[in-house]
Amino acid sequence: MTDSAAPVVLIVEDEPDVAETYNLWLAEDYQVRIAGDGDEGLDKLDAEVDVVLLDRMMPGLSGDEVLERIRERELGCRVAMVTAVEPDFDILEMGFDAYLSKPIRSEELIETVEKLLERSTYDRLLQKYYALVEKQATLETAKSGAELAESNEYAQLQNRIADLQDELSQTMGGVEDDADFITAIQQIGGSEDT
Amino acid sequence: MYDLSSVLETEAVSEVRPGTSILIAGPAMTGKESLAMEILAEGSRNGDGALVVSTGDSAENIVEDYRDRVAGVNNLQLGVVDCRAEGSGGGLADGDTPPGLYVHKVSSPGDLTGIGIGITKCLEALHGAGAEEGRMALISLSTMLTYTNRETVFKFCHVLSSRLDAAGYIGVFTIDSGAHDDQTLQVIKQAFDGLIEVRDGDAGREARVMGLTDGPTDWSEL
Repeated sequence: MTDSAAPVVLIVEDEPDVAETYNLWLAEDYQVRIAGDGDEGLDKLDAEVDVVLLDRMMPGLSGDEVLERIRERELGCRVAMVTAVEPDFDILEMGFDAYLSKPIRSEELIETVEKLLERSTYDRLLQKYYALVEKQATLETAKSGAELAESNEYAQLQNRIADLQDELSQTMGGVEDDADFITAIQQIGGSEDT
Repeated sequence: MYDLSSVLETEAVSEVRPGTSILIAGPAMTGKESLAMEILAEGSRNGDGALVVSTGDSAENIVEDYRDRVAGVNNLQLGVVDCRAEGSGGGLADGDTPPGLYVHKVSSPGDLTGIGIGITKCLEALHGAGAEEGRMALISLSTMLTYTNRETVFKFCHVLSSRLDAAGYIGVFTIDSGAHDDQTLQVIKQAFDGLIEVRDGDAGREARVMGLTDGPTDWSEL
């Protein structure tokens, strides 16, 4: 049994055998939900879902349409698009976080899910880091240098900020590759539409 | 290591570690932009790649000014991300540029994803051309702050600094210290490894460096 704190993976796949295969690979470490088409996928999607494995070619709602609705709902989940062929578009400019070409091997699937979860971790750490930096700046603008030097609260804050900096630099290899970089920025917001 | 001491005469910047990001802060009209461009130009003279992210100047103007600045340099490798809100229209277009020049246009200084993609493409091109070392200038954060907010800009700076670190590049980012409140300046500063402050002193333009060595340097003439 997977414990209830395990990350949630939603598989949206119209071929039951394929979905069941993914489930077998993932069930040990993750809570898995399975949906047979786009509509069911959207029904089973909520704030608890961390990663969506989304088949691009499905009868009914296509993967692209499902992706669009997922983004509209502004859920924090990561989406890996599963395609039959290598996509010929620029992955950086699409709204998903990773893609997998069929047939998928088990290591490949697990690696991708782990990578996407790590990106979510990075976003959470960055949010926490920013909140602490705001606090630090508030103290720095309100108090004199001498007051800060004596403040326990300030010293503790500085330590926590330094710890978070370390954690951030160790997550995703410190934003090592381009796809990590772009998705980290996408997550910050500041896109044209918002 | 990057040596910026010919641009800024202080030991504090003679050995700047690859991956370092520096904020250049000062009031309007104190030469922040020109300092940033000179730091890049010094790199170009040594064969480094150069990357300019501009929120105010057109790619065409930047390229022209930069060519003047580094006159005589062979095999110049320059990337420009032009993110003025005015949009593109005429001049240098994506992909239609002379060798060694890489231009990417973004529709707005608030389109961070677009800017990120532009930076990625330019870095790729610079690396492809053999520029393993390089320097990036973002001019200016003040404009980005008017299009978004400080949380967004802070996070963007942090993520971009991390990306530059992975690439082994250094970055300089300008901010108009008179245009933002203290809280905003304090928060933005935290996203950087070091700070160069510039001001108009009695004897002319002065600068001092903080964060790269133990204490701040003294104010010295620029």
